[in-house]
Amino acid sequence: MKRFWAVLLLCLALPCPADDGALSEVLGKLRQVGQASFQYHEIQTLELAASPWRASGIMLTDEAGSLVKLQLQPSRVIMAISGDSLYYWDAAQNRRHSMPIAYADETAAQILIFRGILLGRAEELTAGYDLAADVRNPDWSLHMQPKNAQAGDNTPTIDISGDADPDKRRILLRRADGETTEYRIEKVAAPHAENYSIPQLLREAGGE
Amino acid sequence: MRFAWRKRCFLLLLPVLLAVTLWQIRVESDLNAFFTHTNDADAELLSGLLQSGELSRRYLLVVEESAANARDAPSLAAFSAKLIQQLAQLDQVEQVWPAARPPRDWLDATQFYAPYHARIYSLNPARDAASLFDPQALPGRADGLRQALLSPQGGFVKSIAKQDPLLLSLNGFKTLQAGFQQTRDDGALILQSRPPALDSAAHAKLRAAIDARFDDLNQAAGRAFRLSIAGVPVFSVAARDEISRDVTLVSTASSLCVVLVFLLLFRSFSALHWLLLLQGCAFLIGILATQLIFGQVHSLTLALGASLIGICVDYPIHVMAHSAKHRSSPLHNARLLWPSLWLGGLTTVIGYAAMGFSGFPGFEQIAVFALFSIAASLGLTRWLLPALLRHGSLHIADLPGIAGWVAFCGRRRKALLSLIACAAVLAVFSLPRLGWMDDMQKLTMNMDAIKQQDATVRAHFSSMEPGRFVLIRADDFETALQRAEAAERRLQDLQRAGVVKSYHGLFPWLASQALQAENARVYNAALTAEFQDAWRAALDLAGLSADKLGRLTPAGSGELAPEAVLETPVRHVLSGQLLAERQGVALALWLGDHDPAGLAAGLQGLAGTRYFSQREQLNQLAGQYRDRSLRMLAIGIAVMGFLIWLQIRGLRNTLLTLLPSLAAVLFIFASWALLGEELSFVHVIGLLLSISLCVDYGIFFIENRGGDSEVTYHAIAASTLTTLASFGALGLGKTPTLPILSLSVSLGVVLGFLLCPLLIPKTDPA
Repeated sequence: MKRFWAVLLLCLALPCPADDGALSEVLGKLRQVGQASFQYHEIQTLELAASPWRASGIMLTDEAGSLVKLQLQPSRVIMAISGDSLYYWDAAQNRRHSMPIAYADETAAQILIFRGILLGRAEELTAGYDLAADVRNPDWSLHMQPKNAQAGDNTPTIDISGDADPDKRRILLRRADGETTEYRIEKVAAPHAENYSIPQLLREAGGE
Repeated sequence: MRFAWRKRCFLLLLPVLLAVTLWQIRVESDLNAFFTHTNDADAELLSGLLQSGELSRRYLLVVEESAANARDAPSLAAFSAKLIQQLAQLDQVEQVWPAARPPRDWLDATQFYAPYHARIYSLNPARDAASLFDPQALPGRADGLRQALLSPQGGFVKSIAKQDPLLLSLNGFKTLQAGFQQTRDDGALILQSRPPALDSAAHAKLRAAIDARFDDLNQAAGRAFRLSIAGVPVFSVAARDEISRDVTLVSTASSLCVVLVFLLLFRSFSALHWLLLLQGCAFLIGILATQLIFGQVHSLTLALGASLIGICVDYPIHVMAHSAKHRSSPLHNARLLWPSLWLGGLTTVIGYAAMGFSGFPGFEQIAVFALFSIAASLGLTRWLLPALLRHGSLHIADLPGIAGWVAFCGRRRKALLSLIACAAVLAVFSLPRLGWMDDMQKLTMNMDAIKQQDATVRAHFSSMEPGRFVLIRADDFETALQRAEAAERRLQDLQRAGVVKSYHGLFPWLASQALQAENARVYNAALTAEFQDAWRAALDLAGLSADKLGRLTPAGSGELAPEAVLETPVRHVLSGQLLAERQGVALALWLGDHDPAGLAAGLQGLAGTRYFSQREQLNQLAGQYRDRSLRMLAIGIAVMGFLIWLQIRGLRNTLLTLLPSLAAVLFIFASWALLGEELSFVHVIGLLLSISLCVDYGIFFIENRGGDSEVTYHAIAASTLTTLASFGALGLGKTPTLPILSLSVSLGVVLGFLLCPLLIPKTDPA
């Protein structure tokens, strides 16, 4: 009997340090301090679209936690978080939104998660997701499962993966309705053009 | 019953009466119950709007960063979002949302309309069809749909697009979005409260709770923010505070003044304590009767009722003055003076009854209160006062000048009468110059500071006004909706012409069956094979699925039923626009900044539709009150004259009795005409009361039952002083009606008193 309990406890205990270690390692890879720029390619599979929709652009982050996603192709669209506000500006459609993050709906809330992923903010990610990491050097992955997901809830599951190149990663969002969004991002040197500065893009998105 | 037993019974029953009154009384502070009238449909509507209208229950909150902003403080948007969460937890809060964004459930409610898109896409379907169903515009619309699906609102748009690919159901809601403020004023919040606007007690508690929640958050944020609040309930709470102050001040001052006058005259604490117990009893009977008849006693009734102390003490004071002067028993004098006291009391009651019939609901309560208090005081004076004063001896101080004035009037009667006759002629000629108050706002309290804050706060919000709107009336809901749609079409024209800046209508939240049928007809006609092909081609071009979005189905037979709409959160959106009516249906279209005259003219010719202004409605009511109070003044004088004639049985003496009070009123009206004073129904009511009081003096003077004109005039002087003391105290009130009543009654009483010995020759006792 004693041997049974000992084996059981060992089985329960063993995965913990292993998982914690992998998770810490993966979160360490994700962690981003200070200003950074990423080039991204996005493929969205929408239920109402005839074919996958592709876009590309750059993402910018800064020390204060601002995130600007500037879509350059096929048209210029800015989606951004700065402080407690969320901004959206579609120049081609002349459509502009700005709202406190607390007011953002389910779709808009995804950019918050994206910020958490890009900046490696573990506390933001664990608030709404159960995290499971897997490290098979040089590859690594992080699976994020929404906590307390209910029927009709369209919060996506998220898979982030990478390899030996620390500047590249792939992010796949899968929603309950079958829609997916895949991002391939690569850290690049900060663009020097004034048009690509975070304050300038936030002003443009805010309509100032 | 023997005197000793009367006294014992009184002392035993008085505490019982006090206990019963305290047990029964429910003091009402709702101003609406006092100030608005419910005899006609418009007044009833006004009353309902003030009481529970959606906009009247709304607080406007503005959070701003204070000058001493803490370095680590959250942003204004984050602080406002936290405040919204905190305030939403309060029991008395129905909903709270940022002014720049509609509440989430309003937005979500628009999804309910997607299946009905072919029936509600336009208020003018025939006119809009050319642009809405233009095949050339379809590529642009498909492109817009794709971008909307990719935007932060993608989830919301997708659920609608699956049922309504052309997003026609959102067409009408574009104006709703425009109705919300487009600035990024993160600190502007709207709080919809649950209690009726004029339930000031509930709003005082809610206001305290709002301030407490804000203070807690602000303290945590290093006092980096400040809060300003406006809205109808803010005025309601301020008014309640002022009225409470007035009630306390007036009743205390009135009681103290009457006590001082009594002590000055009789210098007897013993007599005073009996008098106070007697008046207390009369007062309690008045309160209890009012409570039993109306189910509540308004605090303003208590304030104005306090002035009755000065009238009710007149009856015992008359008896006591005669007893003191003649060294005779109070019982003898109570019996001797009873006919005069009875008639005097009756004429006073008639004055108050006429006031009650003036149409002003608050005065109905005061009239009932006065009727029972005066009747009780008269009865107690006749049957109890002699028992209470059986063992005491009374002395009354000589009032200086009384004898001199009576003698002077006797000596110079002819000259003085000629002078008064000339003055009366001049007074009559000045009457056409009388000016009438046409703005009831002048009768409300001075709240300039709150009004200024209200204007400052409202500058942060879109300018939907709570008090002015387009009113639609019809016998049934369908007709009302059709009329509302016709009015909205007219408002669109007026908006283009710059007459109205914005409006908040009912379409497309609610649409008449007729409009739905017209929309469906135009939609089905536009849905040609060519149009369907063009749409599918546009979808292909935009990269959207023609299989899922390309099938545009003709309008089905299922109509959008108002009952179904009102089961969704839309009922919150429309609750302030569906007005309660006893018969038929009334709808309101709210207005932003507008030109009232242009708007009223622009709405002409529309059945069951008109421009409604709460302020103008109140002024119209004030005009009605004034006209009725003038009629009541005439009727009151006629009834008093008739009753005096019944007792005195002589036309000359009847006219002589009335003459001092009528002359006083004529001179007061003339003075106001010459001074340019704007008169309201409150002025007229004040004069009516002064007549009913002065007539008492005439009755006492002409009947002269004590047989000594000087003693009678002394007793009248004592009555005048107590009346002045109590009505003078009303002048301390901040509610403008109180000083007006104070001035009207005081002037009338003083003039009537002075004219008595001049206009009424000395007579033998009756």
